[in-house]
Formats: sequence, structure tokens, C-alpha cells
Amino acid sequence: MSRRSHKGFGYYMRQIFICALLIVCALYIGAHIYIQKQIVPVSNILENSVLKDRKFDAKVKEIHANDMSAYFLEEHSNPIISVRFLFQNAGFAYEPEDKQGVSTLLAEVLLAGGGEYDAEQFKDICAEYGIKLEFSSDTDNFSGVLQFPSEYKEIAVKIFQSAFYRPNYEENYFNLAKSQQLTVLRMQQENPDKILNEEFKQFIFAGHPYERNALGQIEIVENLTIEDVESYRQTKFAQNNLLIGLAGDLTLDEASELLNEIFSSLPEKSDGEKFVPLSLETSGAEKSVERNSAQAVVKFAVQGTFRDSVDFYPLYMANSVFGASGLTSRLNKVIREEKGLTYGIYTYMTISDAAALIEGSFSATPENFDTAKQLLLEEWQKLGENGVSEEELEQAKKSLISAYNLRFAEIDSIASMLLAMQKYNLGIDFLDKRNDYISEVSLQEVNAAAKKYFKTMPDMVYIGTLPKIKEKE
Amino acid sequence: MPKLLLLVAFSVVFTVSAQAKLLKTTEFTLNNGMPVVVIENHKAPIVKHMVWYKIGAADEAYGKGGVAHLLEHLMFRGTHGVSDGEFNRWMNELGAESNAFTGHDVTVYHQFADISKLEALMALEADRMQNLAFDKKAFEAEQKIVYQERKQVVENNPSSAFYERMNLLLWGNSPYGQPVTGQNDEIMALTYEDARDFYTKYYAPNNAILILSGDIEPALAKKLAEKYYGKLPLGQIEHIAPEEVASSFAETLEMALPDVKTPRAIWQYLLPNHESLQDAVYNYEVLAEYLGGGETSALYRDLVVEQQSAVTVTADFHYVTRGNGVFKFQLIPDAKELTDKTLIQENMLAALEDAIANLTEAKLEKVKRKMLADLVYVNDNPNDAAYWVGYMMANGFSLEDVENYADKIKNVSLDGVQKAYENLLKAPVVFGLLLPENLKGNN
Repeated sequence: MSRRSHKGFGYYMRQIFICALLIVCALYIGAHIYIQKQIVPVSNILENSVLKDRKFDAKVKEIHANDMSAYFLEEHSNPIISVRFLFQNAGFAYEPEDKQGVSTLLAEVLLAGGGEYDAEQFKDICAEYGIKLEFSSDTDNFSGVLQFPSEYKEIAVKIFQSAFYRPNYEENYFNLAKSQQLTVLRMQQENPDKILNEEFKQFIFAGHPYERNALGQIEIVENLTIEDVESYRQTKFAQNNLLIGLAGDLTLDEASELLNEIFSSLPEKSDGEKFVPLSLETSGAEKSVERNSAQAVVKFAVQGTFRDSVDFYPLYMANSVFGASGLTSRLNKVIREEKGLTYGIYTYMTISDAAALIEGSFSATPENFDTAKQLLLEEWQKLGENGVSEEELEQAKKSLISAYNLRFAEIDSIASMLLAMQKYNLGIDFLDKRNDYISEVSLQEVNAAAKKYFKTMPDMVYIGTLPKIKEKE
Repeated sequence: MPKLLLLVAFSVVFTVSAQAKLLKTTEFTLNNGMPVVVIENHKAPIVKHMVWYKIGAADEAYGKGGVAHLLEHLMFRGTHGVSDGEFNRWMNELGAESNAFTGHDVTVYHQFADISKLEALMALEADRMQNLAFDKKAFEAEQKIVYQERKQVVENNPSSAFYERMNLLLWGNSPYGQPVTGQNDEIMALTYEDARDFYTKYYAPNNAILILSGDIEPALAKKLAEKYYGKLPLGQIEHIAPEEVASSFAETLEMALPDVKTPRAIWQYLLPNHESLQDAVYNYEVLAEYLGGGETSALYRDLVVEQQSAVTVTADFHYVTRGNGVFKFQLIPDAKELTDKTLIQENMLAALEDAIANLTEAKLEKVKRKMLADLVYVNDNPNDAAYWVGYMMANGFSLEDVENYADKIKNVSLDGVQKAYENLLKAPVVFGLLLPENLKGNN
């Protein structure tokens, strides 16, 4: 008898059962290991992370000197100081019509020395001491930044005073600044994006000074004189239209003193009144600019809302979901990530004294262009009709709240933020409240804003090969 | 979103009052050989998290132009455990500014975020170093996207044709002469397998550098880096040795293009790699600063302010690369009569000779002071320090080279700068002149 005869049916069944059990176990363990290895348990990691939420201690103070005030944040981690300031109603839209470009020219020639410093000495001192002084002119405001290592505060103050209050306007530097501005104006004509920007402003703001080119026009700039820039300097800058943000390595008293040293020589009052807010009615009108280029580029816009409107945060959230959250926005998901029709599509809210817009832009080769545009309009309509989902809103809130501390990355960006808080009347306690403003927005509010602002189709301006267009009435 | 860095030479704009240590850095190596640098900056509770792969467009095989850049895009399209779209969704939810870029020498992935999110960022970044799993559909979409990117970022700009042509002339067969994007037909001919192969071959912890810059203690950084990156397996990395570049030539390129409105002149000199130049790189860097580093430089004061024959002129020396160094002058002539190529070159040479003849010890010290004055700002924004250290280390410099930067500049002698100038004039050079189409007849 072979031994085999002892092993009956039950034995084999047991063997099979054990084998099966082992296989199941192996599979289970294998799968478990596989899952352990593959899945990145992000929520778990966040929850158990040794790195917890920390808040930047942002004690914003208001400081005073004479009748002027400024927002100030003391921050000694690095020995540098930044002063950001702007003069309201002094940007390029406020230039006399026949002097277009004068504020940008002034911004440049102010850096060519003043008082006891000739242009060469002035520029040498700035470079050798790491003093960064810049001026610029945007639509509404003439702005500046003075940033310096705190040990060179005295010399930085002297540099600023000489440039801003006693400019020398050396002739060769004046002529140079002019020919540089003319060169940049000409170079704008090389780049489809820059041509489009100007065409877009002219289309949207037709007849209003907001349609102007910040650099002026070639024929006007060619004829600008030293008297023109000096007259602009004398009439546009005063204590009553000045806003200041100050941050960095100095104490409260030193900050007030600095404020006084830099700005107390200003006259009390300037001329110039704010533009009356515009109502921009868009109707899906289109304009094309013909040009030979690899892609067609489009800019589009509808009426947006101002910073102090109750619609601001709801619309901000809706726009974030729609086109302002990078690769995760609805527009980029549909038009870029899924179909590969464009390198990127974005929307953003722009706010100036007299105009609030939701703007957007993309570029695509001619064979893709119409499909991309069609998808944009479909998404536009969908947002206007259905708004966003609870899930999308929650994601947007988490994103904005998580990113809160990034604004404190550098002294100069802190100073800029302090300036913006005043420009938009956000209040000195804005930083304490900002995350609540975001989290308190309800889905109903967001979707009401989506309905209100995305109900009309945007006006569009193209450059490149010509799509079929619907003219503005 | 993935963007590329088109040879935008990392012009070292950082300039420190140099008494203390330049940056608060700590360097260590993980068990698997991955180097880590921590740059402490405790101002705000934020961090820059960067992984620098020492691989880029210069490592692409002939005909496979653009594969490094395409792969960079595909790195956002899912892994075995994180589905397509999930990575970006997390970046958004974490409030992280997430992006990547590709150059000839490096491919870099980075996020800027609240410190409380760092562990999640490390887990996701480590995951895609090893487990990338994009599908065919994502591949095809990204291929189209990088094609659109080239059209938008390069070709929409009418002068790019000129700059790409210049690079070909300068570099000959070297991959450094090819655009990082690849050519259009190359992009469209790349296959799923090309991208996968490039990934398998080059993405490993021992071919990467981790940089953590911000509100993080080195000891904790080490613990977390070991946890998330330290167990990743080593790769076997072989870099293709770059082609030898011809040692002596002088070429001229003159191009007239429609839609160009302003002429430009550009001189590019090919110099040895920084590893053969050693500390002489700083002689060239100081030379560039003296000649064309901004409005206080010698050429600017001569050609732009005094003569007003140019609206601007700059000089820079790009040496933070695995390839040859490139010394470059760029000039925009001010008037139509100055667009004759012989005249422009004669004028430039005369200005150069003058500048070198007038260089004194005192002037040299002033140039160095200017270069060092801005270094105080490098400790401000954690982003800036992270980029600087990353670029240097990924291209073969040591952390000491970064830390000793101020001393290296201080040690540059008058003799060293003069020798650098002599060698520069003997180096292979391409002179390029770009003209608006309507100006061409004037010559």
C-alpha cells in the first residue's frame, strides 16, 4: 500500500484550503504593501505633521508726522528698510492730454541726481551703498520705492531728498531718458502681447484717459521738455494725496522720524481729482488686429467690482475657481490640461480708481483658436448660470487661507502690502481679519456674484490671424 | 505652471556687506546619497522647497530636442498613487506656489508654501521622483501644450529667430546651441517611450539636490528629508560628455526681420567651463560688471551717456553652467546711421580699449563695492537664496563657493581683470546684428 492511500479526499481538500488561504494572505499582504508604497496619504501627513500652523506676528501700526500718516511694520530679521509710497491722481491717466508720457519720463529723470549730487555721483552712491530708489507711473498713481540697508539710513534719506525735491535735470541724462522711452515705445510694436494691451485699452476705455499708453505717444514724447516734467513734479505731489507703507529694521520712533525726513517738505495740497467710476457695459463685442504671428492672442473683459463692494469677496472666489487658480482653474483644466489647446488661460480682477474689470487672456495657434474660444464661452455661460459647487468653494477657501503667510516673504513686499491696505481702505486690522473674510463667504453669495457678473459675454480683442468678429454697436 | 527658463542666464544680482556668513546654511547627505542644503530664514513661517535635477536639454540625444522639457510637464500628470490632476489639486489646496522649469543644465521642481505644508510637499515631490505614471492621453495633451508654449514664449516674439540663430552659430553641434523647447518637428516626433526613458535614466536621488529655504531647523529638516527622500533607490547616472566646442572662430550674423522695430547688436564669446577657469571666473565676472553692469559701468557712461550712440549697453558673464562660459555684450544703437556693422564693431572695440586703459585700482575697488552692496538683500526673501544656492550647486560649485562669494570677489586683482580682458578678445566670438527690415538698405 502506498502511503498515498492514507491521504484521502479530506487531506487534499485541507491542502487546497491551506494553499488558497496562503494565496489570499499573500495577495492581501502584497496589496497592502503595494498600497502602502504607492498612495501618498497627504491628509494623514498634514494631520500628523510635526510642522504645525504658525502665524506671522504682524503688528501693523499707524505712525504720524505733521499731518501725514503711514502704516508701519517693525521687522528686524534682516538689516534692511523699505518705504513704498504713492501719490494719488498723479498717474499717466491724469497727465495733460498734450503731455502724454510725461509722468513716466519724470520717473526716470528723477534718478539722474539732484542738489549737490550730479548724475554720476548719485548713481554711484546708490550702487555702492545698496540703495534702491525707483519711481513709476501707473494708470492712477505715481509710485515709488526707497529700499536700503538700515546702516545707511542717513545717506539714503539724503539721496531721496536731493532726487525728489531738488532734481538737476542734467541735459544729457534728460535726452537719454527720452530716447530710451522712445525706444521702448517702438519695441512695444514688436510684441503681439504689448500691441494687444494697448488695443484692448483703446477698445474698452474708448474716449477716456484710461485708454492711453503709459509711455505716451512718439510725437508727444519727442517734444517733451524739462519744463514739462518739472511742472508735473510741482503740481502733482503733496501731503494730501500721499500714501505710505513702511517696513523693516527700525523702531516706531525711528519710523516716524524717517517719515518726517522724507516727506515733510511736500506742499500740503495738490491739484487733481479722482475720475468718476465708469460703468462698462460689455456685450460680447469683438475687435481684431491683423498681424502675422505664430499664434493669435486674445484679451477679454466684463465689468467687475470695486474693492469696497459687498460683491468683492464672493466674486473673487468665483473668479478663483473659474480662471485664477492656475492649472486647477476650470478654464485651464478644460482648455489646457484636457485638450492641450493653449499653454495657459487666465482670468483676473483689475481695479483702478474708475474701473473694475474681470479680464482674461490666452493665446493659441490658428487651428486651435476657435475651439479654445468656444470652450471659454461655454464655461463662461456655465458659470453665469450654475455658479460653482460647494466643493470648489471649499477648495478655493483652503487655498487662499493656506497661502496667507506667503505675503511676508520679504520686507519690500510687506511695505507694498501696507500701502495697498491704505489704497483700498482695508483698515489697519485687515491682516487679522483677512482669513475670516475668506471663510465667511457663503456659496449663495458666490453664486449670486457669478450670476451677476458672468451674465453677459465678454468683449474681446484679438491680434493675429483674423477670426470672424462681431463689431461693437 | 511649468514654465521654461530659456537660457536666462542667472545673472548674479546679489550683491552683501560681507563681514558675517553670507547665508545661514547647513549641508548634509542622505543615506542614499542625496545632497540637501538647508537655508534658514525665520522671518515668516514659510518655506521654499526645491528639487534640482542635474539634467536638462544639454543631455538630450540628437533629434530628441525638447524631451527634458516635455518630461518636466509630465511630472505634473500623475503617479501610481496620485492620479492625473491630483498633484495640482493638492498644490492648490495647500496654497503652494508650485512650478517647474527646464534649462540646458537643470530641471527644477519647486514650491513656495506655508511651513505647515512642507511634509505634504516633500511626500508628493518624493513620490514623483520614483513613481511617475502619466498615461498616453496626458502625454499627448502635454506634447501639444509644450508646442503651444514654444509658439507663445518663443515664436510670437519676432526677435527670437535671431537669437536662436546666434546660438547655433556660437555652439555649432553642441546641444547648448539648441533651444530648450526643442524644434517644432522634434517636439511633435517625441514619443511616450522617449519621455519614460529619460525619466528612468535620470530621475533619482543621487542626481538631484534638495534645497529647503525658510523657517526650518536643520535637525528637523534632516529627519524629514530622510523620511521622505532617504529611502528612494539610487539611479545609475551617466551624463553624456558635451561636445567639444571649436576653439577658434569669429563669425558674423546679420539679419533683417519684419516686425522688428529697433536694431540690436550682440557679441557672444565662448569661454572655458568654470571648472577649468577655477577662480578666474570671478575675474571675468568683475570685468563684466566694470564694463557693462548697469548705468554706472564704463561702457554705459561712454557709449550711452557721453557719446549717446547707444540707448543701452550691458555686459554679463554666464558661468553657472555645466557647459562653456559665455561672455556677452548687448547694445541697442541710438541712431539709424549707427547700424553699419563695421562701424558698430569699431566703436565698441574703441570703447572697450579705453575702458581697460582707464581701469585703476581705485575704480576696481569701487566696482567690487557695488557688487557686494546688494548681498544684504539675499537673506531677505527665502526664494532668492534658494535659487542662488541651487544654481551654483547643481552646476558643480560647492556650498563654500557660495559662502565665500564675497571673498572671491574681493580677491580679484587689477592684473586678473586685465588678463581676463586679453583672453576674452582671443576667445571664439559671434557678432550678431538684428535690423528692422526697412533699415537694411541703409548699409
